[in-house]
Amino acid sequence: MRASFQNRFAPWLMAGLPLLFLMLMLIAPVGRLLLEGAWSKPGDAASLWLAPWQDPYLRWRMLWSALQAAFTCGVVLVVGVPIAWVLARFEFRGRSWVLRALMLPFVVPTLVAAMGVLVLFGPQGWVVQWGGPSLGDTPYLLLYGNVFFNLCVLVRAATEGLEQVSASRMAAARTLGATPWRAFWRVEWPALLPWLMSALCLVFLYCFSGFGLALVLGGQHYATVEVEIYTLVAHELQLAQAGVLALWVLLFTGGLAWTYAWVESRLAGPVRADRIARRRPQTASQWLALAAALVVLVFLCLAPLVAIVMRAAQTGAAGWAVLLNPDTLDAVWNTVRFSASALVLATLLGLVHALAAQRVIWLRTLVFLPFVVSPILVAFGLLLLYPRWTASAPLLIAAYALLAYPFVAKSVAAGLDAMPPHLLAAAKILGANPWRVFWRITFPLLLPALRRGMAFAAATAVGEFAVTLFLSRPEWATLSTLIYEHLGRPGATHHDAALVLSCVLMALALAVFMAIERPSLRSRTDGETYA
Amino acid sequence: MLELQSIAKRWTPKGANPRVLLQDVNLQVQPGETVALLGPSGSGKSTLLKIIAGLEAPDAGRVLCQGQDITATPPERRGFALMFQDFALFPHLNVQDNVAFGLVEQGLRRPLAREKAQTMLQRFGMQPYARSKVWQLSGGEQQRAALARALITEPKVLLLDEPFSALDADLRQTLRAEFQTRITSSQMAVVWVTHDEAEARSVGARGFRLVDGRLLPVW
Repeated sequence: MRASFQNRFAPWLMAGLPLLFLMLMLIAPVGRLLLEGAWSKPGDAASLWLAPWQDPYLRWRMLWSALQAAFTCGVVLVVGVPIAWVLARFEFRGRSWVLRALMLPFVVPTLVAAMGVLVLFGPQGWVVQWGGPSLGDTPYLLLYGNVFFNLCVLVRAATEGLEQVSASRMAAARTLGATPWRAFWRVEWPALLPWLMSALCLVFLYCFSGFGLALVLGGQHYATVEVEIYTLVAHELQLAQAGVLALWVLLFTGGLAWTYAWVESRLAGPVRADRIARRRPQTASQWLALAAALVVLVFLCLAPLVAIVMRAAQTGAAGWAVLLNPDTLDAVWNTVRFSASALVLATLLGLVHALAAQRVIWLRTLVFLPFVVSPILVAFGLLLLYPRWTASAPLLIAAYALLAYPFVAKSVAAGLDAMPPHLLAAAKILGANPWRVFWRITFPLLLPALRRGMAFAAATAVGEFAVTLFLSRPEWATLSTLIYEHLGRPGATHHDAALVLSCVLMALALAVFMAIERPSLRSRTDGETYA
Repeated sequence: MLELQSIAKRWTPKGANPRVLLQDVNLQVQPGETVALLGPSGSGKSTLLKIIAGLEAPDAGRVLCQGQDITATPPERRGFALMFQDFALFPHLNVQDNVAFGLVEQGLRRPLAREKAQTMLQRFGMQPYARSKVWQLSGGEQQRAALARALITEPKVLLLDEPFSALDADLRQTLRAEFQTRITSSQMAVVWVTHDEAEARSVGARGFRLVDGRLLPVW
């Protein structure tokens, strides 16, 4: 009886903590935001509701947000699938490093990426200095930034999808007369399609609700609807209009997230045991394909980062002197303390959420909520719901944790799914009670997944920008907001300072990521397979 | 020693009608006796083992051990051992700590448990591998480590779920003989699940087949 009670209610008790947190930090603020948008002017609700579509300026913002996201999807699809095919089918020295480097854009803070794009293609960028055209005030800056962040999302998903393609089915197709090209379209492509759809949903979602890149690279004409919401709230105090825009964004992103969840659920199937073996490239054309894939990856995913480091190095001692500035030291300290506090909270929440979601399946869907609702909407909602708390450290840290903890929860949930249940059964049979099973079996086996989730959570917190802009006090400036401040001031000194600080922020994010993630990499190479 | 009384279990696949896995299953196994359970894949053999081990609850019926009803007793308090098809060795522990696991859970201090594990490994000719990671062992060595882990706590009941299915034919035959020697020297009640009738006849004093959820005597 006692065991049955525990089995039934323990997951719910465990779920209480993340549910309460989500309710206070996300659902209630978003609800408040909806109220602001839909019912702020009772007599005039309908016209306010339709205002974004009647105003040509706002209509363009909405349409452009969707357009740039769709265009990015198209580019990453066309470029990413061939790269993924090369990575999935060819074995070559350094392949594992290339796959690891594909994680880089997930770790690099948005503002750093934006700076990298500016260094390459901005009005004073290298391309202009070498006699090329400036991409300032064109949509291409933002599109390049989008591709930088999202190509890796698609390549990683497609590589994983291609690795699941059954070797025996491919062999059957070939023996039935299909050429390699036909076999790709008739066997590999259909197997790959759900993976692509899932990745494209994510790419669209990221681009549509992106803020940092659009704020820095979009300029006056090509900023997205998220930037517009920020401008309406922070600069024009048009809360009602911002609320309506937020409502439309929520509707759109909610629909996309639902599509993503639906596609993901279709992906949940047994992993193929008969994978296609990778082989070394044999012919000149195969070597050429490999070289081309690597060159494109370097150009699209590495070039902005290399450019920042090189450009920052050129600023000399005068540029690097910004590191001794008290503001900089404060910003580093703030970044570290806010991120560390948020990481502790995010780890606790993520672990508890994932464990509870093992038994209560719909909790898994809830973990995606912080991904669906953009940081700008969350921050705006918090601002409306807790006006007295907007400049308080606990709220800021909780907001950081909200954005970071899904990484932990997702990673731990995947680790739990991959854990063979009979290991836990074996421990029980050998006399371990549930707590001992968790402590001696589940937790050690989960550690690599936990570390991985924590690494992403930490990188997210270190590079956080949007929420800090809304909720922070001037003396709480972080590295991200300090970079933005320098970018907004005229003069080469400030530009150089932004560059150097971008380097520092990138190094900090990478260092934190590597410090947490590295032990799990080592354990995987030791034969650990449950991460 | 081990007794099953009218065990029943249903299983409802998602979006399908419930299926009877076990119905009115009765069985008695005496100390030192090995009983073989036969049946094709999906016939409910493994479910029956899980019910005996306490990993699953029956819909109806009782499990008794030494006359005591243990149906609601959690697995860790039954004092049984279960060997899985793929051995279920813990990948984060070395061979010695895998074998010592059950003793530590019984409250034995770790150094003493390790000492006993060493002795057990010596009996199984596995001492050189005590510090090895389990994935560094061959199939046969993993099998021996799993048996050592199962036997070290001197369980009252040993449950074997197709213990040799992952091994090749030659190794299977060698290990089967070795197993029988070790098992018969103890006074455990043994339930040996297999789908291989020849194997079942060579190990089991009595054999049963699961047909449509019912346990029918074969020999």
